[in-house]
Amino acid sequence: MAEQEEKRDDKKGEKFSIWDLPDVPAKLPPHIEFQRSRVLCNLDAPIHTENVTYGGAYASMGVDNSLQLDNFRKNFGVEVIRLTKEDMEFDLIGIDVSIANAFRRILISELPTMAIEKVLVANNTSVIQDEVLAHRLGLIPVIVDPRLFAYMSENDTSNGKNTIVFKLHVRCERGEPRMTVKSNELKWLPNGSELLLESKPDSNPESKPRTYTSFSCSQDSLPEFSNNPISPMLDITIARLGPGQEIELEAHAVKGMGKTHAKWSPVGTAWYRMLPEIVLLEDVEDEDAEKLVKTCPVNVFDIEDIGNGRKRATVARPRACTLCRECLRGGEEWEKRVSLRRVKDHFIFTIESTGALPPEVLFTEAVRILEDKCERVITELS
Amino acid sequence: MEDDNEYDQQLEENDEDEEITQEDAWAVISAYFEEKGLVRQQLDSFDEFIQNTMQEIVDESADIEIRPESQHNPGHQSDFAETIYKIGFGQIYLSKPMMTESDGETATLFPKAARLRNLTYSAPLYVDVTKRVIKKGHDGEEVTETQDFTKVFIGKVPIMLRSSYCTLYQNSEKDLTELGECPYDQGGYFIINGSEKVLIAQEKMSTNHVYVFKKRQPNKYAYVAEVRSMADSQNRPPSTMFVRMLSRTSAKGGSSGQYIRATLPYIRTEIPIIIVFRALGFVADKDILEHICYDFQDTQMMELLRPSLEEAFVIQNQQVALDYIGKRGATVGVTREKRIKYAKEILQKEMLPHVGTGDFCETKKAYYFGYIIHRLLLCALGRRAEDDRDHYGNKRLDLAGPLLGGLFRMLFRKLTRDVRAYVQKCVDNGKDVNLQFAIKAKTITSGLKYSLATGNWGQANAAGTRAGVSQVLNRLTYASTLSHLRRLNSPIGREGKLAKPRQLHNSQWGMMCPAETPEGQACGLVKNLALMVYITVGSAAYPILEFLEEWGTENFEEISPAVIPQATKIFVNGCWVGIHRDPEMLVKTLRRLRRRVDVNTEVGVVRDIRLKELRIYTDYGRCSRPLFIVEKQRLLIKKRDILALQQRESPEDGGWHDLVAKGFIEYIDTEEEETTMISMTINDLIHPSLILGVCASIIPFPDHNQSPRNTYQSAMGKQAMGIYVTNYQFRMDTLAYVLYYPQKPLVTTRAMEHLHFRQLPAGINAIVAIACYSGYNQEDSVIMNQSSIDRGFFRSLFFRSYRDEEKKMGTLVKEDFGRPDRSNTMGMRHGSYDKLDDDGLAPPGTRVSGEDVIIGKTTPLAQEEAQGQASRYSRRDHSISLRHSETGIVDQVLLTTNADGLRFVKVRVRSVRIPQIGDKFSSRHGQKGTVGMTYTQEDMPWTVEGITPDIIVNPHAIPSRMTIGQLIECIMGKVAAHMGKEGDATPFTDVTVDNISKALHKCGYQMRGFETMYNGHTGRRLTAMIFLGPTYYQRLKHMVDDKIHSRGRGPVQILTRQPAEGRSRDGGLRFGEMERDCMIAHGAAHFLKERLRIRLSVEGARTRPDIVQVHIPYACKLLFQELMAMAIAPRMLTKEDVGKPSKDQKKKGA
Repeated sequence: MAEQEEKRDDKKGEKFSIWDLPDVPAKLPPHIEFQRSRVLCNLDAPIHTENVTYGGAYASMGVDNSLQLDNFRKNFGVEVIRLTKEDMEFDLIGIDVSIANAFRRILISELPTMAIEKVLVANNTSVIQDEVLAHRLGLIPVIVDPRLFAYMSENDTSNGKNTIVFKLHVRCERGEPRMTVKSNELKWLPNGSELLLESKPDSNPESKPRTYTSFSCSQDSLPEFSNNPISPMLDITIARLGPGQEIELEAHAVKGMGKTHAKWSPVGTAWYRMLPEIVLLEDVEDEDAEKLVKTCPVNVFDIEDIGNGRKRATVARPRACTLCRECLRGGEEWEKRVSLRRVKDHFIFTIESTGALPPEVLFTEAVRILEDKCERVITELS
Repeated sequence: MEDDNEYDQQLEENDEDEEITQEDAWAVISAYFEEKGLVRQQLDSFDEFIQNTMQEIVDESADIEIRPESQHNPGHQSDFAETIYKIGFGQIYLSKPMMTESDGETATLFPKAARLRNLTYSAPLYVDVTKRVIKKGHDGEEVTETQDFTKVFIGKVPIMLRSSYCTLYQNSEKDLTELGECPYDQGGYFIINGSEKVLIAQEKMSTNHVYVFKKRQPNKYAYVAEVRSMADSQNRPPSTMFVRMLSRTSAKGGSSGQYIRATLPYIRTEIPIIIVFRALGFVADKDILEHICYDFQDTQMMELLRPSLEEAFVIQNQQVALDYIGKRGATVGVTREKRIKYAKEILQKEMLPHVGTGDFCETKKAYYFGYIIHRLLLCALGRRAEDDRDHYGNKRLDLAGPLLGGLFRMLFRKLTRDVRAYVQKCVDNGKDVNLQFAIKAKTITSGLKYSLATGNWGQANAAGTRAGVSQVLNRLTYASTLSHLRRLNSPIGREGKLAKPRQLHNSQWGMMCPAETPEGQACGLVKNLALMVYITVGSAAYPILEFLEEWGTENFEEISPAVIPQATKIFVNGCWVGIHRDPEMLVKTLRRLRRRVDVNTEVGVVRDIRLKELRIYTDYGRCSRPLFIVEKQRLLIKKRDILALQQRESPEDGGWHDLVAKGFIEYIDTEEEETTMISMTINDLIHPSLILGVCASIIPFPDHNQSPRNTYQSAMGKQAMGIYVTNYQFRMDTLAYVLYYPQKPLVTTRAMEHLHFRQLPAGINAIVAIACYSGYNQEDSVIMNQSSIDRGFFRSLFFRSYRDEEKKMGTLVKEDFGRPDRSNTMGMRHGSYDKLDDDGLAPPGTRVSGEDVIIGKTTPLAQEEAQGQASRYSRRDHSISLRHSETGIVDQVLLTTNADGLRFVKVRVRSVRIPQIGDKFSSRHGQKGTVGMTYTQEDMPWTVEGITPDIIVNPHAIPSRMTIGQLIECIMGKVAAHMGKEGDATPFTDVTVDNISKALHKCGYQMRGFETMYNGHTGRRLTAMIFLGPTYYQRLKHMVDDKIHSRGRGPVQILTRQPAEGRSRDGGLRFGEMERDCMIAHGAAHFLKERLRIRLSVEGARTRPDIVQVHIPYACKLLFQELMAMAIAPRMLTKEDVGKPSKDQKKKGA
């Protein structure tokens, strides 16, 4: 901000400017700054939830609110808190809510994955109807990198580039107990469909019988899959079979996006929350301190010894706060003592992957998609 | 008792005597439902009919006696002076349900086969018949020939499922499954021609009961006493007697006024009561007064009788009195002797038949008649309030047993009448009597079937039949089935505006569900039984009479009327049998015996101390409910009994009946309830939540809702989808809805356990937010999460079955299933025939849509029908095609033969119904709504835990409707989900909102269920806290795809050429007044003109000066023709013609 004022000086030179007056503040007054950067969670409802994005919003106070790349560079940060195979928690600091939300939305609905779209039922004598079975199969995550496949558009035929074929053939023999069919029974067919298309009677009987797919080569001959066979997520119950019942089918997985159908969403869910900030506005001591600690079911507060056998409440684990606001409920005095806030540009982001791709890859993919979108806008505009 | 001894050793003494807790009461309730199931009233009633009533009906018909009518028979001299034929019916036998195939093979019939093949689930009934021929010789000698026919088939009786004569009776769960039955199905219905029929219990006023009503003035009468008297086992409408006291003002001629008069059957005018007494043989005033007011010190009452005595002063002996009555009878112009005899007959046979119809009943009748007047006077003197017509103690329920009993009695009488007519004919013609031909089994078979199939109770096309007694069992969801089997109807005119019979009456507490009743016309008239009601089936009165005799009851012959005021009058089933001087002891003994089951447990003992009456009831149709017995302020049932109940080895021994037999529990009927002290703690009532019926028991926290909301939910729960029976894949219901993934509710009630709601649920625990979000949930619509829908949320299957049969047309010609051939078949449908196999049926797995033909059937065409095109067509198409608005996949095809041996097919089509905008959903609190918008997951708001709601309802739905129960359900659901337990939402327990809130807070949530949420579109925090949690939601059967309809051009009616009506016929949509108003308001003048003027109006185009061309609608032309047919000449005046008479008008017209 200081730089800006300098610039202004350069431009206008000798001309008098109100900004030059010494008593014009260069910073926002604390209460406005508070409104700008924090959500205050009152007992009834949160206030100051809006974001001020307009650059000139505080112009009257001599503060430039526009986004500056340098500032962004300086303030922006990512801290990974937890990372496992399936989920990840990280802090996204110093970014506007709209960008964070864009990532979230892209993660849920615009990152492609492979999912079973077509089910060819050859035989189904189980109690579960074909449609229900197909729907269940569709929701099983297919563990494969979708970047290796192409979308199948309307007039495409199924080929090795756009389709993964699985086979399911299970039978519960007579005299045996009921059987649970798990997704482990889905067998990958790298050579494509084995089911034959009904051939026309006049076609050449010697020609190779056609199937539902036309794979040019076996998928397992490709380097990506040769040592790394494609499989669905394991241990998901597909159906239960009684004695004598049988299911025989072929499932064709294609590439798609979560906005078409939730089965293509690569995440169970992805979301963020703002960083909780809890401030004790005055010292809370002795019995009051104990009371405060007790009210919180998630142990946000702790007690510290301040000597003379006296105790003082401290804010130990603000991140755990679920905003039950029970700490504010003790009466008006408590509302004055405790302030529950949320930092507007600090997001605790969580990604729960379905298993097709690891969560950190998902996030980088999401960033790339947003990049692409921006680029598209820019090219369209230019 | 042995078990008890064991416990004696284990437990300390004070433990044994420990009071039971609420939880223990539930153990008793479980024992009740385990033993009785949910449709016990139906089964008990039907079993009573089969086991006793049927035989009684056969026994009560006297032998048929036939004497040949002398016919002129020249040249033939009989050997005997007289021949008498006597035919008597004896023992009846009922076999298991059977079915005879058309080839004559007979086999046991199972319900599954009956349902699938459209058969009737009925068992053959046989009876022993004896024929005696008594031949009297000319010399007075008698020869008797007796011939016994054992087990003569007299008809088939439909059998109630799961009754003791059903093939499924006492089958294990496994056996039931193997027979293709749902183990949760409770039975209690019939299968008639393949469709399941329930007999709806019919409410009626109890008979043989004296009611006294005060008439609203001004009225001719001040007070009316009425008795609807009906003797046992009589198939006659009750004979009603009114005794009326005239009101003072209406008295003419200035006499003192308040005469009391009675109506007698078949007597045209009212008869002064004193004359009735004199006709009965009580002549002296003193005798008469003794029978009415018992106590001569009671001057007030005596005074009231004075006018009546004065009125009858002129008739001072029995003969004159009888003549007075006889003169007012139906017969005119007969001798005095005949009149007297006629009057005597009426008094003996028709008046108050329940007291007795035999000889020497005069004393009893006089006492009873006196008692009626006594009651009337008590009311007139204001010593007793008038009777309450709506009190449930005065109501009786006719269940399947009595209903079928009445029908069977009528049909059996008809059968015997026909037998008599046949035998008479044979005898008269001198032919041999063949009983096999005489007994027409069809009378009973088709008579019962007709009534059960149509619901018209009584003979076909006879007057006085009740409609709607038998209904098709509702199979939409399991709860609706159960509720239907426990339904009750009051046959009072629906139009009657009288509110009283519709209102909830105090005496219905614990008997009828206070919430479950339809809205609108039948509100309050159609009721549902509460969960723990027992409807008495009736028992014989003679053990009671014997007991009374033994314990010192004095009958009328032994006493003088003067002792009556000191003693207690004893009534058995409304009939006054005598008096007793120590009623306290008598009642105690009776109750003791009843608790020991020495007297039937369903006997009602009512001691009215004020009226000095003891009324004992053994009749059928009373509502009663079980209660714990308290003695000396303590329950008789103790902790150890509960332990014994819980630890018993098999459900058969011990159990509920044992508790009743041990005297811990007794049944109290509505009338006895009035004289019983019932504590309102759980320890006495078994549990207050059992006052609710089936549908209301599914509502969580109904005690926190506004009462109409519970009523709405009771109606809506019946439209919810779920799994209606476990064997739905083996059934071919015309319509069926099955939810993909039904869930048992997180928040349950204790009663649900016994309603099997967990096993056969109808809903899903949805995450519901109450919020305004984007505005697409206004006015009772909801926003639904599209991603949840994608993942299977509320997806359901819809099944529709089509049926057809190869009907026989004449003896040789028969319809044929098969693929119709275009070259020789007339009148083929528009739809595609390609989906049919060679057998004329679409095979399972075929995708069908629109008007595709799914059953191909043709009829041979008679040559003359072909209208000249003889050569080309030989068959006519009678195929069945899919409904034009539906699509689906052929799920199952059943090809079999029906009862007539004709080929018969049912095709079931299945389709998936995915929730979409316009589909209807509801919570369990009468909060219904349609989907107004679906948002994908990323557009939905989320909580700090990343949870997105499945459903967002608008907060405006809550305050005015006051469904607090839904809010409590929501937070309890949240707790339950977190603890991994079920929440208990049984009404009238000590669960409080504070308790639930504290538990929720312990889980780390805001106490009242609020969450901070982020907007899915903007990613910003919402400025309000959102109430969010799991709430059980139901998908209702109303879906847009079944309702959506529009049409441009389309079919028209043949006669009027106006558009057809209804969606199923692709009919037109009326552009009515209000639509017209809209167009006017919109200013769409040209559209209006097109719609309303051109279509309807006249347009002239001149070709010749005297001829005008007029365009009129076809329907208008038709109207003219119809008018002409009625000899009315319509004329159309064109503008010029209107103007012709005068020149001024011509200007105006133009």
